[in-house]
Amino acid sequence: MTALGVDVGAALNLIGALLRYLSLAFLVPAVLALGYDEPVWPFAVSGVITAAAGVGLGAMTHGRERIGPREGFLIVALVWLLIPAFGALPFLLDEPQLSNPMDAFFEAVSGFTATGATVLTDIDALPKAMAMWRQLTHWLGGMGIIVLAVAVLPRLRIGGRQLLESELAGPQEVERLGATIRETARRLWVLYIGLTVVAILALASLGWSGADPAMNLYEGVAHAWSALALGGFSTKNLSLAAFQPITQWVILGFIVLAGINFLRLYRVIVQRHASLVARDEELRLYLTFLVVGSALVLIEVLAGGFLSGAEAVRSSIFQAVSIMTTTGFATSDYTRWGALALMTLLVLMFIGTSAGSTGGSIKVVRHLLVWKLIRRELTQTVHREEVLPIRLSGAVVDERALRSVVIFFPIYMGLFALGAVLLAIDARRSHLALGAFDAIGAAAACLGNIGPAFGFAGPFGSYEPFSDLSTGVLTGLMWLGRLEIIPVAVLLSRRYWRA
Amino acid sequence: MSATIGLQALRRNTAGVDVSGALNLVGTLIKYLSAAFLFPTVLALGYGEPAWPYVASGMIVLAFGLVLERVTSRGGVIRAQEGFLVVSVVWALAAWAVALPYLFAEPQLRNPIDAYFEAMSGITTTGATTLIDIAALDQSMAMWRQFSQWIGGMGIVVLALAILPRLRVGGSRQLVESEMPGPEYEPLKTTIRDTARRLWLVYVGLSALMTLILCILGWTGIDDLMTEYQAAAHMFAAMPTGGFSPQPRSLEPFAPASQWVIGVFMLLAGANFALHYRAVVRRASPFRDEEFRLYLAFIFVATAGIFLELLRADIFAAGEGALRNAFVNVVSIMTTTGFATSDFALWTGATSFIFVVLMLIGGCAGSTAGAIKVVRVSLLAKALHREVDQTIHREAVVPLSVNGRIVDERTVRAVLGFLLFYLLLFLGGAFVLAIEEARAGLEAAPFVHVATSATMLGNVGPSLGFAGPMGSMDPYSPFSKSVMILLMWAGRLEIIPVAVLLTRRYWRA
Amino acid sequence: MKILIVGAGQVGSTIVEALHDEHELTVIDLDQARLNALGHRFDVLTTEGNGASRRTLQDAGIADADLLIACTSRDEANLVSAMLARALSKAKTIVRTTNVEFLDVWRERQLDVDFVVSSEVETATAIGRIIGMPNAKQTDVFADGQVEIVEFDVPVDLAHGETIGLPLREARIPGESKVASIIRGEQLLVPRGHESIMPGDRVIVIGSPEAAREWSGIVSQAAAPIDDVVIYGAERTGVALARVLLDQGIRVRIIEPDTARARRVAEELTGARVFQASGLDPDFIDRERIGQTGAAVFAMRDDEINLYAATLARIHGVRFTIAVVDEPASVAVLEHAGVDVAVNPRSVTAEEIVRFAHDPRVRQMTMLEGDRYEVLDITVREDSELVGKPFRELPMTGSLIGAIVRNGSAVFPHGDDMLLAGDRAIIFTESSRTARVERVL
Repeated sequence: MTALGVDVGAALNLIGALLRYLSLAFLVPAVLALGYDEPVWPFAVSGVITAAAGVGLGAMTHGRERIGPREGFLIVALVWLLIPAFGALPFLLDEPQLSNPMDAFFEAVSGFTATGATVLTDIDALPKAMAMWRQLTHWLGGMGIIVLAVAVLPRLRIGGRQLLESELAGPQEVERLGATIRETARRLWVLYIGLTVVAILALASLGWSGADPAMNLYEGVAHAWSALALGGFSTKNLSLAAFQPITQWVILGFIVLAGINFLRLYRVIVQRHASLVARDEELRLYLTFLVVGSALVLIEVLAGGFLSGAEAVRSSIFQAVSIMTTTGFATSDYTRWGALALMTLLVLMFIGTSAGSTGGSIKVVRHLLVWKLIRRELTQTVHREEVLPIRLSGAVVDERALRSVVIFFPIYMGLFALGAVLLAIDARRSHLALGAFDAIGAAAACLGNIGPAFGFAGPFGSYEPFSDLSTGVLTGLMWLGRLEIIPVAVLLSRRYWRA
Repeated sequence: MSATIGLQALRRNTAGVDVSGALNLVGTLIKYLSAAFLFPTVLALGYGEPAWPYVASGMIVLAFGLVLERVTSRGGVIRAQEGFLVVSVVWALAAWAVALPYLFAEPQLRNPIDAYFEAMSGITTTGATTLIDIAALDQSMAMWRQFSQWIGGMGIVVLALAILPRLRVGGSRQLVESEMPGPEYEPLKTTIRDTARRLWLVYVGLSALMTLILCILGWTGIDDLMTEYQAAAHMFAAMPTGGFSPQPRSLEPFAPASQWVIGVFMLLAGANFALHYRAVVRRASPFRDEEFRLYLAFIFVATAGIFLELLRADIFAAGEGALRNAFVNVVSIMTTTGFATSDFALWTGATSFIFVVLMLIGGCAGSTAGAIKVVRVSLLAKALHREVDQTIHREAVVPLSVNGRIVDERTVRAVLGFLLFYLLLFLGGAFVLAIEEARAGLEAAPFVHVATSATMLGNVGPSLGFAGPMGSMDPYSPFSKSVMILLMWAGRLEIIPVAVLLTRRYWRA
Repeated sequence: MKILIVGAGQVGSTIVEALHDEHELTVIDLDQARLNALGHRFDVLTTEGNGASRRTLQDAGIADADLLIACTSRDEANLVSAMLARALSKAKTIVRTTNVEFLDVWRERQLDVDFVVSSEVETATAIGRIIGMPNAKQTDVFADGQVEIVEFDVPVDLAHGETIGLPLREARIPGESKVASIIRGEQLLVPRGHESIMPGDRVIVIGSPEAAREWSGIVSQAAAPIDDVVIYGAERTGVALARVLLDQGIRVRIIEPDTARARRVAEELTGARVFQASGLDPDFIDRERIGQTGAAVFAMRDDEINLYAATLARIHGVRFTIAVVDEPASVAVLEHAGVDVAVNPRSVTAEEIVRFAHDPRVRQMTMLEGDRYEVLDITVREDSELVGKPFRELPMTGSLIGAIVRNGSAVFPHGDDMLLAGDRAIIFTESSRTARVERVL
């Protein structure tokens, strides 16, 4: 029946199911709105529309529940487009700052892909429920809607593995945390939820104990959701600068934690395999990068006299960590800092977190493998016949996986360059004062799902000045970055669609 | 029988690399290099300029070469391992040799780093300059600058077609169509000798042809500025895709005809020399070569793009002027020469972007051009396509081919490895330059440093902003210049030989 | 003893040859021709049939057998024979295997077999010992490694020193060792005080491992220990050897022509350097400076290829070459062609099995100089006439007690020490006297 090699109907069917579940998510802001005496109707209506769409899709593609590995690429690509599309409904319906559909979509994509870039110019002005919806989009998208789906939907017993692998990215096979893929996905979400609860309590208690008057349960939930998802949205214009140092340190801790491979984290925390930590090369490199990055930024901040004392240390570390883990929270305006700091932060944008975490960008494990590859290449230049398998934390890495890691780099850099150029060209067309460095920063920040960049799009700024075309480009970059590009490349090849 | 065994055992006494033997070869080559100083000496005498800098330099270089030969033992067979050391050291020392006249007698290049920069830029056929006033140079000194590039080119021809493939750097073995593939057990020196003989004929032949045509343009009055001196000077820089010019404004003051001619010869110089050899000797059409076709395609597309952009930005009126400026500059940058028909640093952001991309791509393998090289870019694209393919069809076995011949996986890996190295150095270089110049207080857009890094690593020459085609690298700090020297050096050698020297495994058994 | 041997191949034949005159043997094999060949040469019973079938075993008389040796080339068949034997009789069982895993399982006592011998592991260990002492012609280990018996060739041009050329009573003999025998030409000399070890002799020494190494130093001319070995061939033997050497802290390089196998080995053995090459390419040998290695072991599948590779290696300067051979005849061929030591895994296996098969009180046995001399590990009976006598007073009957294992540790006895009941005596004796020695002790 399908002349195509891919069962589009099945993909749409799954999306329909996901939309039906998404519609439930609107309950949270709806309830909040009731509680805070704000308009409930945007969320109610959005929920209904989403549910209807979900049901409609399901009806249209009835009977096509089975999905195979091939559909995975299409599903992943569509999910990260369609879910935010419906997630943008509340913005479109009732948020004056986001009345432009392009802007609303940008904000929603930024939310679900856990980027954290915003086109809002005044976040403080948002109603509490709307602001919390923004934060919720981060949390839902962080661990991955797809992982959630695999955990929950029985139909995904088949094809679930491929989906999970597309979601959790990284060059290696997904370690099992249980007997089935479903178990693995479930446990990941349990860990995620668990950590979130701990974070909420930690933050909320800071408020209850009086250590931070600005913190309360609402803010605790909002920022815990954003931190665990490594997203970066805040309910405040001043991001974390609005809170006390102690809060910033606590959030920092959770961010670092969330940047670690969740599969590994599960084994260590829940299954108590503490020894894994020592052997894990990716973890060591991740921490090393964090330390070195922080140090470089700190040097510049102190040398240039931008900040001093404890604040300098805290801000430098926080900023470096926030950028590298692709979160995007800010404790001070780093766009004012000197060249070394800015260049370091730019470089950190290209490093990323560990694979299998909620972060984005290139990912530490890829850098690690590429480094090993380069060294092997040099050795093999001298010793041509020597067989040198590449090992990661003791286990041998398959050559095919290595190849895809190597290919990933030029693609990523190429897309980044293309994005930067498009922004630069469009800026001239739309008479926007966009420096080359700022264009580069914006492209990198969106592709890597980081969030704030430089210039006017800095941590306390907004992406609002960009034209619609540029906003579209940036949205595309966020989408591609979250997907780690390859699924889209696959969708673009003719082979995929042929039988 | 025991005698043979004994002899062999004797030879293999050294653990690791035969450093002595490698340096011995270096000494020999440096010795030969000293002959090059005759040319500027003769010129200086002819023009009534001081000849002593060249004579003195020549003697010093000769002496150094002899001493080095004497001090080191005549090694056995120079194998691949020694090859890395030889090429790295030779280029570094040759630059030093070329720098001597500058140090002795060129006031603008008194600073050793500047002199070495200018010399390295010459010998690696980059073409970037730290001079601020080129017109102030003596005629013989200016010609020495040009000549250093021509000499560098001769070395590069051999490097590209014989040595690097033998060392299998960056997949060269399978990717470079050479006339002398050279069996593995043949000593490196023999391969070099044979290749050099054939290809230098092409090199010298094309050089002579180009000089003749340019001179004719001068004699017939089509281009009054094109004297024999200018013809020779620009030929010396065009054939090795170098880019130095005695004219402060590069090719701008010359007649359109001259610019077209130089453009065409640059295009030829950027193509695989083995193709030229085959075209002349065996009448084989170069268009059959896949890389050549791709090379021309890139040039066509880039020219068209720049042409349209020039029209759109009203920099030139539609017509021959716009086309010529688009074509010649595109060819100049892509072949990593570095000549300019007008100051493209003043053009638009889009053109700058296109130029930087061309700087990264480079010319054909087996030519005097630098950068990544068209054939590697083509292989990367194929590898990318295969990757997508294999993501869908996991078990598919898809061999990659170049020019109809299957390329083995080792080569693919080597190419990808090379690309990563290149990317690493390019980005790292840009990063270091940006930070250093911010520290030193230089006012420049960060993108300029990105272009500088690309142009140095790819041995192109001109960058953007103040370091554009009509500008100079002089404002850069000494530290930055040192970094740029390293980039030029590593880029010319295709990075791997230099990188290998930094590993411990190379030096141990 | 009544012994059933399943498998009349190389290993089986060697075992038959060693045991036929002292025990009652019955050989089982599917191949009648092989059985006939054995039957003609030796006085043994033969049964044609499948050793892994109950009927055949019963026909061969498993019911009253004392020992079953399953040494066919098929592991599974050997195992089944042993299982059946266990079920059908009280016989002890010895199994030959090529699979290192079986060995591990047996060591963990998960396999109900009395003794398992792995050709690869035995060969690897043997070669490992040779590499440890390159001048030793033959090395055997007793008492769990505490006692070594080593046969050295004293170089013809070795200068006289403290040990060589002096009468034994004046010579400096490394502590914890004894000279068991001096072989000059065809003669076996009993090492009495007035005898000296001369250059050109072959010396058999019994002692502790340290003493053995000291002897190695005395006898050798090139003092440098071997710390780097190249192994050609990553088959099971090669890999087993690599593991043994890596454990000893020796650097290992492996050359393997097959791409997939090379990759597998590189992944398994993290300490070794693996090269995917044929080993027959002079350019490769040159480039990788194979000639500078301490020793090269040739363990590729083919004897001819091993010979070629070994010769090529020697041309390039390799000093010490060891080959693992397939055919027994190849041993002589390779050694004549210049390979220093040729090891036949099947002989090594057979030897190991025979060792176990001997008198149950006799824990180990090894054969030297073909079959002329034997070394026995015998537990002294309570009622032996030699119990309680100081060593000084023991009769010298052409046998020498080299060492005693008392309560698990080795003792190298001086004149005043006494032989006690229950001691394990490591005795060097002529083969013809073996029975007598066993009777006395």
